[in-house]
Amino acid sequence: MTANGEVLELSHCEACGARFLPTDGACPRCGSTHIQAYSSPALGTVLAATELTSPAEGWHAPHRLALVEMPEAVRLFAIVDGPLPTAGDLVAVRREGEVYRARTEPQP
Amino acid sequence: MSVHVASVGMGRYGKRPEGLIDLASEAATAALEGVGRRPIDLLVAGSMLAHGTHGHEALLPRLAARLGLEAGSGLRVDSASGTGGMAFYAAVLAIESGRFERALVVAAEKMTDRTTAANTKDLAASLHPSEVAAGATMPGLAAIVTQRYLERFGRAASICDLATVHARSMAVRNPYAHFQKAVTPEEVARSRLVSNPLRLLHCSAISDGATALVLERGTGPATVLGLGQGFESIRLVDRDDLTTFAGTRIAAKRAYENAKVGPADIEVAEVHDAFSPFVYIHMEDLGLCEVGKGPDALEKGEIRPDGRIPVNPSGGVIGRGHPVAASGLAEVAEVALQLRGEAGAHAVARAPKVGLAHAMSGIASHNFVSILGRGS
Repeated sequence: MTANGEVLELSHCEACGARFLPTDGACPRCGSTHIQAYSSPALGTVLAATELTSPAEGWHAPHRLALVEMPEAVRLFAIVDGPLPTAGDLVAVRREGEVYRARTEPQP
Repeated sequence: MSVHVASVGMGRYGKRPEGLIDLASEAATAALEGVGRRPIDLLVAGSMLAHGTHGHEALLPRLAARLGLEAGSGLRVDSASGTGGMAFYAAVLAIESGRFERALVVAAEKMTDRTTAANTKDLAASLHPSEVAAGATMPGLAAIVTQRYLERFGRAASICDLATVHARSMAVRNPYAHFQKAVTPEEVARSRLVSNPLRLLHCSAISDGATALVLERGTGPATVLGLGQGFESIRLVDRDDLTTFAGTRIAAKRAYENAKVGPADIEVAEVHDAFSPFVYIHMEDLGLCEVGKGPDALEKGEIRPDGRIPVNPSGGVIGRGHPVAASGLAEVAEVALQLRGEAGAHAVARAPKVGLAHAMSGIASHNFVSILGRGS
């Protein structure tokens, strides 16, 4: 949990129990459409992070992208605000429209 | 019913002045001449970027007209950078069905007349839209995969440099390869950073090129022994492990079972190293070396032409260049050339009897494994 108690809405499959990043379709593990939203603490751990010199259309270099693991092993890609984190760093994640953004948190 | 590769046709890969249909017909003509222009009853062709951008929607009739083919039937396939692997698969199935006797398979791409931004955007079409929306590109996601691999197995980023050095040293022997000059580890490590840890020379090049095969009923030195395909989640965040590609492992298991051979029987392999460190992941997923030991196999010389299991004697995607749709067919073509004793300067040291070709779409979301050998 971040200092101010922010949460992130993630998905839970009622059929197989998988927890995952919201999709516009079915459960990525079993294909069920019985999906429930749940609130997760918005603090995650960086698994890998890179700085793209030629990001996808609509973004400018340098574009920092991190693969972040949230509680219950749910993963997401987040655009990093601030310096490039390294694997193991804690980040606070928030959703902004279609994308997620991460900023480095003070390490415990 | 057996199917074999009766001939291989290639043009030089690289920056070419010709258009898509010219490149495709150059390779196709060579393949047709290889079988003495015996009649073709099926044309299978694929291109990833021809849609719209080159006005080549009618790829099959245009190609058939250029080649003067009387083929009454055609199939067009599209599986991003795995298109060539899929084209081969489709043609083999069509002949095995008994409906066709001889197929011309062509995969071609024209890329160097397009801007890098246009290529980057269109290549990202093989990724999940939500990940592209966050700015991800093929090299960006390949960089994340590479970081996970380096961390899990405690490897230094220099293993990526050595993979490029291997690919480029093989390409020098292949007259059809885009890159005809070897590189040193230092040159690779000094090349421009694209998405850390990946540098320019770790990433496959934008190339023009085409490959064609004629497949026939019957047996020969390059008979199809087994085929396999495998999917894996296109959204990378849904994968538990990014240091292995589950879709390749599934495709390999099916192909090995189908061919009734195992990894130890493979004497030459072509794998889809769109990014040079992927050569390690593919070798491991195909069972050609132990998990996490790909870099050791390279360092010990095991994948050189005179090694235990020669890998990418053509130069691979990194050395041969990457006209995306064509690469998957070039991988099968190289294995066929090696088995048929037609590989010339890039022939492996001990004439192989069984070989494997692997092709990958996107970040391994759809994978193809083809095993060829002498048919009984």
